[in-house]
Amino acid sequence: MQVKLKIFRYNPEVDKKPHYDKYEVEADPTDRVLDLLEYVKGNFDGTLSFRRSCAHGICGSDAMRINGRNRLACKMLVKELGTDKILVEPILGLPVIKDLIVDMEPFFANYRSVLPYLINDEPPPKKERLQSIEERERFDDTTKCILCACCTTSCPSYWANEQYVGPAAIVAAHRFIFDSRDRAGAERLRILNDQFGVYRCHTIFNCTEACPREIQVTKAIGEVKRAIATGKIE
Amino acid sequence: MSSRPAPQIGFSFEYMMWIFTRLSGLAMFLLSFIGFAGAFWLGARMYLTNNSFVDIGALARWTFFPNPNHVVNTNIPDVAVGWANAWWQIMQITILFLGTTHGMNGLRVVIEDYIDRSWLRTLLRGLIFLLWIFVMLFGIYVIQAS
Repeated sequence: MQVKLKIFRYNPEVDKKPHYDKYEVEADPTDRVLDLLEYVKGNFDGTLSFRRSCAHGICGSDAMRINGRNRLACKMLVKELGTDKILVEPILGLPVIKDLIVDMEPFFANYRSVLPYLINDEPPPKKERLQSIEERERFDDTTKCILCACCTTSCPSYWANEQYVGPAAIVAAHRFIFDSRDRAGAERLRILNDQFGVYRCHTIFNCTEACPREIQVTKAIGEVKRAIATGKIE
Repeated sequence: MSSRPAPQIGFSFEYMMWIFTRLSGLAMFLLSFIGFAGAFWLGARMYLTNNSFVDIGALARWTFFPNPNHVVNTNIPDVAVGWANAWWQIMQITILFLGTTHGMNGLRVVIEDYIDRSWLRTLLRGLIFLLWIFVMLFGIYVIQAS
């Protein structure tokens, strides 16, 4: 099938303003949008810039806006779009560096602010810190995050104000708050009980819809809100 | 294995207002039902049957803000007696407080969400606080004076 690609282009060394370039590409319905971008880069314009690494939905490098929705280009099949017109743009809310590449630093700064690592100063047992199946199950959903930023950059609260830590950071906090081996849940909840913590979430659900790993992001944020409200980590 | 330290319930302003929004929403539902029942008890029933149609606007005024000036045209002689007692005045002031604070806080949340410049945010917060004071005082005056 013939596909009409329209791609956001911006080179700060040459362009004053961003513009869109159009390409017509022969594609199979089972091709991924990433394949089309690679084809354009290899055959039409080598200057087209985008991030990609594993190309299998694990590394989280190639989050972009495809036909208006945040998706991983490597997981989005042409047939799933249901149209032969494909619009590819960078994710919103982060500064564009070039073409489809955005500056992820504000995103990672927010991520780091919630202490996204296991904190436990108690002397370790002889073997590992044991955990029951139920205790592991409690935070299983939020361990799936690959930090692609699809959720955070689909959130209108984040577009409006990048001081908001954003869904991805709260998901990362959730992963450790509800981990029975961790001891810093109270500290993380204190960080998130802030004007730019969980209270900028208005349950819009864009994050849940955008997540390529199908994490129940809004539910996780709700559980963090409940832990703050009740003072209990359950 | 020792247990995890329990989090302290954080009494930040945002936390308090977040809880208040939820509780005041529920409380306004409850008060609406009381007000609705009270409106019928005090005579809205007659008003409804005297007309061939149900006047939703009039019923809402009876339910939420039943002072005699609002229902003076209804030809119900003992209206003023009913509204003047302390129970209905407390009811009205409670609804006024919950409704105004809930709504003004909603405006504040929009500002916190969308205004990035800190001086403008502070200015608008102040304006909303003044507006809140004004509506509260004006509302209480209307309730007491009628």
